[in-house]
This record gives sequence, structure tokens and C-alpha cells, in this order.
Amino acid sequence: MTLQLSVRSIVKRYGGVVALRDGNLDIQSGEVVSLIGANGSGKSTLSKIITGVVAPNGGQLLLNGHPVHFSNPQAARGRGITAVYQELSLVPDMTVAENIWLAHEPLRLNFRVNRKAMRKNTEDLIALFDGTISERLQPDTLVTVLPPDERQIVEILKALSIDPQLLILDEATASLDSSQVNRLFSLVKQWQAAGKAIIFITHRMDEIFRIADKATVLRNGQSVGTVDIASTSEREIVNMMIESAATPDDIKIPVVSEDAPVRLDVQNLGGGRVEDVSFTLRDGELLGLGGLHGQGQEDLLLALFGAIPYTGRVKVSGKEVHYRHPRDAMKYDIAFVPGDRGREGLLLVRSIIENFQLPSWNKYGMLHNQDAAQRDAHAMADDLQLVYAGMQTPVNSLSGGNAQKVVLGKWLLRHPKLLLLDDPTKGVDVGTKGEFYALLKRLTEAGTAILFYSSDDDELLGLCNRVLVLQDGRVRDTLTGERLTHSELVAASMGATNNHEVA
Amino acid sequence: MKSLNLQRVFARNTYLISFILLVIVLGINYIVQNNVFELRVLNNNLRTLVPLMLLAVGQSIVVIGGGLDLSVGTLVSMLSALLITWVTPDSTPDQILLAVVLVCAAGMLAGLVNGLVVAYLRLQPMITTYATSFIFSGIALLLLPRPGGSIPRDLSTFYRSPLLDIPLAFYAIALLLLFWSVLRTTRYAQYLYATGSSGAAAYATGVPVRVVRVTTYVWSGLFAALASLTLMLSTGGASQANIGDDMTLDSIVAVVLGGTRLSGGQGGIAGAIIGVMILRVIRNVIFFAAVPTWSQTLVNALIIIAALAGPGLIRLIRRSIGR
Repeated sequence: MTLQLSVRSIVKRYGGVVALRDGNLDIQSGEVVSLIGANGSGKSTLSKIITGVVAPNGGQLLLNGHPVHFSNPQAARGRGITAVYQELSLVPDMTVAENIWLAHEPLRLNFRVNRKAMRKNTEDLIALFDGTISERLQPDTLVTVLPPDERQIVEILKALSIDPQLLILDEATASLDSSQVNRLFSLVKQWQAAGKAIIFITHRMDEIFRIADKATVLRNGQSVGTVDIASTSEREIVNMMIESAATPDDIKIPVVSEDAPVRLDVQNLGGGRVEDVSFTLRDGELLGLGGLHGQGQEDLLLALFGAIPYTGRVKVSGKEVHYRHPRDAMKYDIAFVPGDRGREGLLLVRSIIENFQLPSWNKYGMLHNQDAAQRDAHAMADDLQLVYAGMQTPVNSLSGGNAQKVVLGKWLLRHPKLLLLDDPTKGVDVGTKGEFYALLKRLTEAGTAILFYSSDDDELLGLCNRVLVLQDGRVRDTLTGERLTHSELVAASMGATNNHEVA
Repeated sequence: MKSLNLQRVFARNTYLISFILLVIVLGINYIVQNNVFELRVLNNNLRTLVPLMLLAVGQSIVVIGGGLDLSVGTLVSMLSALLITWVTPDSTPDQILLAVVLVCAAGMLAGLVNGLVVAYLRLQPMITTYATSFIFSGIALLLLPRPGGSIPRDLSTFYRSPLLDIPLAFYAIALLLLFWSVLRTTRYAQYLYATGSSGAAAYATGVPVRVVRVTTYVWSGLFAALASLTLMLSTGGASQANIGDDMTLDSIVAVVLGGTRLSGGQGGIAGAIIGVMILRVIRNVIFFAAVPTWSQTLVNALIIIAALAGPGLIRLIRRSIGR
């Protein structure tokens, strides 16, 4: 049975945000196609549409030349199409076997689950990864006790259990070790020879060259082209991924002098997704954090703010610190603007002034000096050019940009010496972004040290003089001076090896 | 390896700890009340437990599926009122059978309403069932403004006497365990646990999550009906409009004492049955330990809080030692 899938001009909007404006892809049996693109380019959305997890707003799926419409994941599974997801699809309190066969359990008498057959089939599947996994991975093991790599393998086996004709591997190698990746790749070659079609999504450039026949590149929700791997180079793919006319902002923050005092000195930091990260940050410096989403940037900031446990050595102004709670970090004049402002940054239903004062209650005394509080809040609002109806307005009535100003303002009221920013311009309009950039410049001129993660590459390149690029929780590259370019940043995010070019 | 196996045994059979707890409280009970294991006492004690056991079984199914049913107690009140408005001491067996079927149907219908609101309107289970509990209690008051009612004497005599020298309650427990052991092997049970453990993962795998959620409340309604039937058997049909109201909290406490996690996806009905027994034995002990009447409620509540907090406390202590 051969399969030929064509994705034509798929459009997907989430509310007002366009995730995919023109998604195209072609694949047939016996092919491995890699789907690549930068943050938010629409890779995951496209794969979810193919597997029926989300419904498109426009465009067409053609299966063997006929238009098809998958209203849910079962419909796609019925046609032999399934995906290995990065997360979400395993039930933690069930065993490996129960998870793999969930919703298509082998039955006895049409209603009783045939546990024996289920166990046997699971053992056969597990045997595919023999030698790369621990003893622990057995049919009767609860998924919740498995480490991430073995959970990922269970995900892969689960997708395999329906014997798919088209298998999507969405970042399936991210948590596997090298022996497991090698095994997976040799299995992919076997499946390919057996006539399966495989869509392979990864953020590792070398893997694309190892396994794929073709690469389809997405940029800003649009497919910009498909290339044969045999006749392309890493450089060519990187160039396809980036916009040709990137306009760097003209407010470059000046390079901080070598003798500025070191505000933050981090050695071998680990915790969450972060592994062995070391760097220093001087007063008045804006240090950028780059890389694809979820490569440990958020965990790095959380660890430095004492919100998650960490290992390694952290010195603030030369003094070694051991904090266990954000409160401890605040004592060292550290402030953190979280990535999800609605959930972690603001009390949405409370007023602007209450949000402003939240980290500084004790500053105004036990019996709250309202006059002083009001005065400070108004000064801060003016300083940030906050557009608001009144100090008592609930924060959820503000626009994204103004809400973010409140998050920033509540920390600036404490006059932090070190500011940790987690993607502060996400969902913020262009005008406000400009104001933010000016604000960052003012802050650094006043000597504030800023660690700045942004998912917007232009922003990092336009503002920073030094950018740490993270991949898999490690610093993949540090870009400064002439190497601070778009293609270097993308190349480092994808783990490309810059000097080696395929003809 | 051995310790790992032991861990797995406890992880899979969550009620084992509860069983150990039950043995301990039974031991204490024996010290303060020597005749507790005599057939007559055992029969009396167990018989009064059957309605709550049934209720706790229904509650377990809802909790495993990731929900909570705060309406079970007043549902028992309503269904009991319904039953005794239909059944009198002179009812024929046919009439009684019809009433029983209707009560069960009414219970399932009430559960269906809860389930549809929770699964399709996506209201919080706690809010939904708390709200519907007032509907049920309102109907109970309409049906039975004054305490009263009775059923044919033969029925209650039968229910009170041991069968073949074994308390009738044992048959009920055996039937419940049989029911569960069959249900547990079906695909439906896989769906139930998957839905309660991670609704999103279950959905992405093709489990009809909403349908499963609805069915859990229908089960709960059916078991509330069975609870009200046995309750009326044990009172001889004497009822009042709030007869079951206090059973809601007990059913939830029993589920938790039985080792079922309130966040769903884990546990079983054996635990709930054991939980009901623990609850009862604790009350027995308080009674026979001559705790002054006015302090009994307080002592009872403190013991339950301690039992509920137990697992969390152990984890907390272990973590602080681990540091």
C-alpha cells in the first residue's frame, strides 16, 4: 500500500494570531522529509493539522490525490497517519503496555482487555530498542517512574503500535541519548525501506543531513521551499530560514567597558533543563540569551531567581549566594520578568496600583502609606508612558504592551541592580517595543545589569553586544562583534557546524 | 530489586496501606470493645455500613475519572423519599420491583445531568454537583415534608438476618468486588483511568474523554440509588428529607482513606470499601473509649484530618530529611 500526501496552502489562526498562512508539504511512501523552521514558523501546527489534532481554517490535504478532512486524531489514525509527540500523549499513572495500546487494546470476547497479548506485543516493540534502554523499561512499569528518554521511546513505540503508513517524529530525538538516536535512525531507514513515509521535525542540523531525503523549510508560517538534502548545504538551509531583509534596530546599547564591576558570575550552573552553563555579566551590560524555544533559557532565568533548585556556583557582586526562594534573590536586588505575564507576572483582576506595590509592600510600612505609594506608582507610570484610565483599573483591561509595562514597573520600583527578562516583548505591539528598547538603554546607562532572553532574533541582534545561544540546556555558542549576525545565530540555534559546508 | 518490587506492589495496589491501617484500628477497637468480632455485633456493624459502601464505590469511580460528586448525599435523601412514597407496607412484590427500577433510573438520570453539565458545559465538578445537591435536597423536602414511611416487615427482617451464618453485608462486598474485577478488565476501565490521569493525553490518543466523564456520574447516580435502597431496608423504610445529606463527606473521606488520590487516575473500589470500614471503626472506638458525647464530633474530625494528611506529611518529612 503506497501513500502520497500533499498539503496545500494550509491556513491556521489561533484567535487573531496566524500560526500558519501558507503551509505546503509533499511526501510519499519510502521518503523521509525533514520539516524545519525557526521559532513560531508553524512546524508543530502543520504536523498537528496532518494528524487531525487541530482543524485548519483553510487549505487542503490530499491523500493519494483525494481531498481528506480529519476532524480528530482517530480519523487520521484510521488512515495510518500518526505522530510521536514531544509531550502530552502519555498517561502517567498507567503502565507502558497500557499506554501503548490505549484505545486499541487487543480484546478477548470483544470486551475484555487481553492483557497477555498486550504484554507480548509490548515486549516485541520494546525489543526494537534493546541495548539502548535500561532494565526498568518493561510492559508493566508505570510511565511516571521512567526518565524522559525512556518516556520518549514509549511514545515512539505507541505511534508504531498502529503500524502507521505516515509517521511524524516531532522533535523525537530531543531527549534521547546518542545510542538511542542511532537506533532510531537505523529503524527509520528500515521503515523507509518497508515503504513507510516519515516526516522528521528536529532542531539539530546534523540529524537532517543524516536521515532526511528532502527538507521543507517554513518561515513565519509560510513554506518557502523544499530542497534535496543530497544537493544542499547547511548554509543554504540557514539562508532559507532567515528573512532576507532583517532590519536591526538603531538603538544599539554601547559595549560595556572591561573594568565595569561584575554583577553576576555563574559557574557550571545546572537545574531544570539547564546543564553546565557559565558566564559573567557586568554592570550596565545587556547580555542576550538566544536559541530556539525551550532550550533551557527559561529555566536558567528561574534558577538565577531562586525559583527552581540549581547546582553550580552563582556569585552576585562577588559574593557567593545560595538562595532557595525568590525572596532570597530579591534581597540581592534581583528582579525577574516572567515569560507568561498573565500567569506569573500579574494579578490580572487586581488594580494597577496593587500590582505595582506587590513586591514592595513593606517599603510603605505596616499601615501602608497610601500617599507615598500613590506618588511612586504615578511616577513609575509616567516614566513607562503607561496608558491607563486610573490607578484602580484592573490589569486585565490593559493591552498586552501596557500590561507588560506594569510587570516591569513593579520590579523597577524596587530599583533592581540585576534584571532577568524572559521574552518581555512577546505579544507586545511595535510601538511599545520601541519604548522598551529605549527603556533598556536607559537602565543599562544607569548601570543595571540585564540578562535578556528573546525569541525575536532581530531584537537580540539589534540590542545586544553579546548573545549566548542555548541548545539542549547548554551554551552552544557565544556571539560577539562581527559574528553577531542573523545567520550565525540561526546556525548556532540549530547546532550547525559553521566551517563545514557540504558541496 | 526486591525493594523496587515492593514499591511496585504498593504503587499498583494502593489500598494495601489502607488495609494495614484497618487492621490497626480494628486491633484498637478489639481492646476497647471485646465482642466486636461476634457474629451478631459484626452483622449489626457491617449492615449499617452497606449504604455508605455503595455510595463510596460510586464516588470512587467519579474520583478515578478525575471528578468529584458532592451531590451523592442529598441524592440518597431524594431517592429514599421517592422510594417510600411509592412503597407501603402493603405493596405487592411487583409494585416494589417497579419502584426499585424507577429509583435506579432516577438516580442514573440525576447522574446524567451532573455528567452532562461537567463534561459538556465544562463547569467545575465541585461547583456543579454542589449546586445540583440543592436541587435534590429540595425535591426530597417536597416529597417528604415530615419524617415517615415504612416497607413490608418481611423485607427488613430478611435484610437484618445473617444468611448461612454469614452477615448479609459480606455478600454485598463480594458482589461489589466481583463487579469491579469484571469492569477492571474492560476497555472502559482503561479509558476511565486514562481520562482521570491525564485528560489531554487520553484525548490525543483517541479516548472519548467526555463520554467517559459523563458515565462516571451515571455510575455514581446508580450507586446512590442502591445506597438509598439498602438504607431503607436497614431503617425499615423510616426516612426523612435529609437522611443521606451527611453521607457526602463520608463517601469522599472513605475514598481518600482507601488510598485513592483525589486528583484522579488512580485507586480502586476495594480501597473505598476498606475506607468505609476504617471510618466506622474509628467512630466505634471513639464511642467505646468513652469520649464525652459533646467532644465526639471534634475527636472524630481530628482523627480523619490526621488520616487524610498522613501521606502528604510522610512525603514532606521524607523530603526535608533528604535535603
